Amino acid sequence: MISALFNQPDYVAAKKSLDAVVLRQEAIASNIANLETPGYKRIDLAPAFRTELERACAGGNAQQIASLKPALAPDAAAVAQSRDGNTVNLESEMMQLNQNAVANTLETQLVSTMLYRLKLAITGKSS
Amino acid sequence: MSPLSAMSPVLSGYGLPQLDAMTPGATPLPLTPGVTGPSPLQAPSEVTPGQETGDSFASMLGQMVAEVNAKQNVATQAVGALQGGQNVSLHQTVIAMEEANVSFQLMVEVRNKLLESYQEIMRMQL
Amino acid sequence: MVQILSGIQSTAAALNAERTRIDVISENIANANTTRGLDGKPYQRQIVVFESALQQAVNNQTEPPTLRVARIEKDTRPPQMVYEPGHPDADAHGMVAMPNVDIHEEMADMISASRAFEANLAVVKNARAMALQALSIGKH
Repeated sequence: MISALFNQPDYVAAKKSLDAVVLRQEAIASNIANLETPGYKRIDLAPAFRTELERACAGGNAQQIASLKPALAPDAAAVAQSRDGNTVNLESEMMQLNQNAVANTLETQLVSTMLYRLKLAITGKSS
Repeated sequence: MSPLSAMSPVLSGYGLPQLDAMTPGATPLPLTPGVTGPSPLQAPSEVTPGQETGDSFASMLGQMVAEVNAKQNVATQAVGALQGGQNVSLHQTVIAMEEANVSFQLMVEVRNKLLESYQEIMRMQL
Repeated sequence: MVQILSGIQSTAAALNAERTRIDVISENIANANTTRGLDGKPYQRQIVVFESALQQAVNNQTEPPTLRVARIEKDTRPPQMVYEPGHPDADAHGMVAMPNVDIHEEMADMISASRAFEANLAVVKNARAMALQALSIGKH
């Protein structure tokens, strides 16, 4: 009965998206830290994981969503920005950083609202 | 799944012969051999759906307690790992803690409602 | 030690490395006119050489490479000779050996080092904001 509470597809999808956003933040942090490292290739969420996540969220199967594992992979589409083969572009990384921060706020609020509503439904009290 | 349905096979175990025996003027019918009196603690010879629900209700409560305990364990482990400096993510720890809280609150509310309904039944005039 | 802000170990290393680079550039600029150092010779420009190092594997996970200062070496370019006969360090021909520091080059390096430093600082600020948001999950 307890596990049925937390097996709603929306909730599981929000949690998994939050995992993905946090992992992406680590990738962007690594990219910016290695801005001047010779030969560094920028990393991002693996495209395979992104498509799987979108498909699973559209499918609405909580088990399937929960079984996904977020993964990072080198960005194959990035071009070398300098002669030493470094593919990090600072402006685009800062843009990704800001966008990811907003995505984190969104996913956190989603999860938080769902938990808060559960508590409200169970106890009838709002805090 | 109310306790009443759990009690109904017991009520039906009383059977009509005994009631007939209590009406004035009727000759008391002896207990025919083979008919055992109502025994609330024993299941009747045929398994009625009401009795099955009674068993599964208790098991459902037990299952809920086990699940809440499992959630608390997960949360405690996550917090311990975070404080120990291992590589767990903060948001997963917080979510585990909140889920354990919600589960526990649900169990407390179920217990409260059970207690209320038990007291209400005890107050019922039979 | 509690690692609350996850995933920014490489940021700390990059901040250190860029800070070292800024320090070295500042020293170069400050000594751009030092014709006689402690060893009696004109100041030699210093260069920071970066390398990428693999961080220690944490919990058997391979971490991406991080930035590190490999060494600080002296620029071997010859000093610039400037004609200034009245200078105390002028040689027999009136030429003074000025340090091989080009101010414009140093300023360009300083700008790119500052940019990288500020970007990594922004990452740390961002990580802190995200951690605070995570801590308020479930509360209203």
